[in-house]
Amino acid sequence: MTDAVITSAVGREADPRGIESPMTKRVLIVDDAIFMRNMIKDIFAGGGFEIVGEAANGLEALEKYKELRPDLTTMDIVMPFKSGIEATREIVKVDPQAVIVMCSALGQESLVMEAIEAGASDFIVKPFKAEDVLSVVKKVLGD
Amino acid sequence: MPLEMAKYLGLFVSEAGDHLAKLGAELVHLESVCEDGPQVAALVDGLFRHVHSLKGMAASMELEGTAALAHRAEDLVEPFRRRGQAPDPESVDVLLAAIDGLGALVQRAGAGESGEADPALLARLTAAAERARMDAPMGRGASPSAALLHRAVEVEVEVSPSCPVPSVRAFLVVKKLCRLGELVRAVPGVEDLKAGRLPQRRLSLVLATAEPLGEVERALAQISDLAAVEVREATSPAPLPALAAAPARSPAADPPRPAEEAARTVRVRVDLLDSFLDAVGELILATSRLREIGRALPEAHRPPLEDGVDRLHATVKDLHDKVMAVRMTPLAVVTDRLPRTARDLARRIGKQVEVEVRGAEIEIDRAVLDELGDPLLHLVRNAIDHGLEAPAERLGAGKSATGHVTLSARRERDRVLIEIADDGRGMDPERLRRAAIEKGALTASAARALGDREALLLACLPGVSTAREVTELSGRGVGLDAVKKSVEALGGALEIDTARGRGTRFVLRLPLTVAVQQVLLVQVAGEVLALPIAKVHGAAQVELAALDASQGAPVLPYDGGLVPVRDLGALLGFGGARPAACSVVVADGDGGPVGLAVDALLGQQEAVLKPLQRPFDLVGGLSAVTVLASGRPVFVLDVLRLVTA
Repeated sequence: MTDAVITSAVGREADPRGIESPMTKRVLIVDDAIFMRNMIKDIFAGGGFEIVGEAANGLEALEKYKELRPDLTTMDIVMPFKSGIEATREIVKVDPQAVIVMCSALGQESLVMEAIEAGASDFIVKPFKAEDVLSVVKKVLGD
Repeated sequence: MPLEMAKYLGLFVSEAGDHLAKLGAELVHLESVCEDGPQVAALVDGLFRHVHSLKGMAASMELEGTAALAHRAEDLVEPFRRRGQAPDPESVDVLLAAIDGLGALVQRAGAGESGEADPALLARLTAAAERARMDAPMGRGASPSAALLHRAVEVEVEVSPSCPVPSVRAFLVVKKLCRLGELVRAVPGVEDLKAGRLPQRRLSLVLATAEPLGEVERALAQISDLAAVEVREATSPAPLPALAAAPARSPAADPPRPAEEAARTVRVRVDLLDSFLDAVGELILATSRLREIGRALPEAHRPPLEDGVDRLHATVKDLHDKVMAVRMTPLAVVTDRLPRTARDLARRIGKQVEVEVRGAEIEIDRAVLDELGDPLLHLVRNAIDHGLEAPAERLGAGKSATGHVTLSARRERDRVLIEIADDGRGMDPERLRRAAIEKGALTASAARALGDREALLLACLPGVSTAREVTELSGRGVGLDAVKKSVEALGGALEIDTARGRGTRFVLRLPLTVAVQQVLLVQVAGEVLALPIAKVHGAAQVELAALDASQGAPVLPYDGGLVPVRDLGALLGFGGARPAACSVVVADGDGGPVGLAVDALLGQQEAVLKPLQRPFDLVGGLSAVTVLASGRPVFVLDVLRLVTA
């Protein structure tokens, strides 16, 4: 975990992808509901993050992740084609340092634990408040 | 070793032994998986986990030599694990040597000695690890060799009341910390967390880690919703993982292993289990005794006592079944080392072999298992050394260059069948007949009268061997002789089946347990004796004088043949003549059934067998002792040794 943070912080300086300010973190949002995506987008935009991409299912998430290599991915759990847990497992296989935050709801405890075992870094529980979401991701990114 | 750790030594030795045995088995298994893939990755992960656990345990025991050796072995496995790649044969050789070295050090630790790792071995491991890292396409650079040894860190966290799912939060804490080291203990345990249990929102855990406290604190600082966090060096050495109150798995990235997740286990010393069985045996006897006493009571007093005795009997019986179940141990305990031995042997004599073990999960009484290790090892060696042909010869015969040896076990009612089959050249019954005649073990006519299957068993006679030359590894005759004796001593039987050019199969039929057996009680010269039912074919009432005699001994017509009858009283050295009318029990003898003349048959019963104490264990022909309901001790006879004595 600590490794991940150090590497991403150090990596940033030389990262050819980073044309934005070195402090702006790049976020990929994965959720099958447009409503949820928009809400999460607004939260992150308001928190000074750059939304680099969106995906509506696990398959798309994996593709987008490989293409964009975001600093942070928010991941819905239950999605068509490929669940968030599967997608998390495969993303972590591609990039063991990926930071993935699961978006869960009450009653999904065991799924969240499964996602943590698959390599998720943290989770937030719906319904969520903007400040709680931002506090969780800032912590997990080591800010 | 610090004094307070001495009490963990037994556990350490047994658990370290388990890890080493699994390491060896998995290494050899890895070699047989051709392509890198998820299966290989999982196996290499397993290797790493075993070495890693061993290192942590040895460090906790402050066995520095052992920990250092395990650490170097871990360094060698690490690059392969990172690549999800099977170690190359050279690395496997070095790792096997390290396993042997570790085994020796663990044994010495068990004997209370501390030992240093062999410097030459350490150097080999370092060199191999260096090479493995160089080959690594995405090597991480510096090895963690220089890292500190693990020590215990205690962590306490309290999840904040605002968190809607505290147990998930705590689970995340456990998983994150697992990435920094090995989880020794978590309260509540991972299973409890999974079930949503986190009393008082507090989690306390012990982590064996080489990281400084600051790293642990930093990892925790990244986790939200924690109201309180405390991290400190443990004041006492970390308890061994085996003692952990809650199941703990590590490192966190391990795929879940269902068996481990399901079972919460404790380790118990075997002699303690034996004493349980003894105590239960005593209870069974005491219960029967009570029942006997009840029979002597006046009618009016009987029902309440009998009622109580019945209930006691049912409870004791249940207890007995449970104790027996606890003593059951998977066959894997003895078969796990076989593929390793097979590989070493085959490499040494220039053969190629693949050993497959099936049914290793079958459970057998510990007492049977203890006696089974050597025979199985011998049969597998035998199959490789004598059964399998050299690669060139196999190719010439249209077979694959690699020979196959399969050990498979299965339950059949109250028996276990273990088969060791090879696809080698097969055995030649005719050659065995000739060999037996040459050695004078059999007359020519007797040899010719034997069917092929019986002739194969001639290989089990001392000194009769078909191996063209007896090698240092397994002189066939002597070994098979010992195998047959061990199997029979357990109340089992050995069969051999062969097809020329296609292979040989040894079948061991074994009882699941030896501690409780059905016995036949007989009376001889006023004494009561017991014969194991498994050895008894049948019985007949006869007039001894009326029996035909052959070569001076009476013979009994039985099952279409003639069975020689021996006087059991005379065999045991009791004086006195047999009554004219007596019973003959037909039992398994050395060369076939043998009749034993006794005064009377008293009946059959289930007996709890106890091993003989000095000086009775020196008396040939006795195998155990049991106590009758009346409190009378009765000897159980070893028919085989009795009639050959």
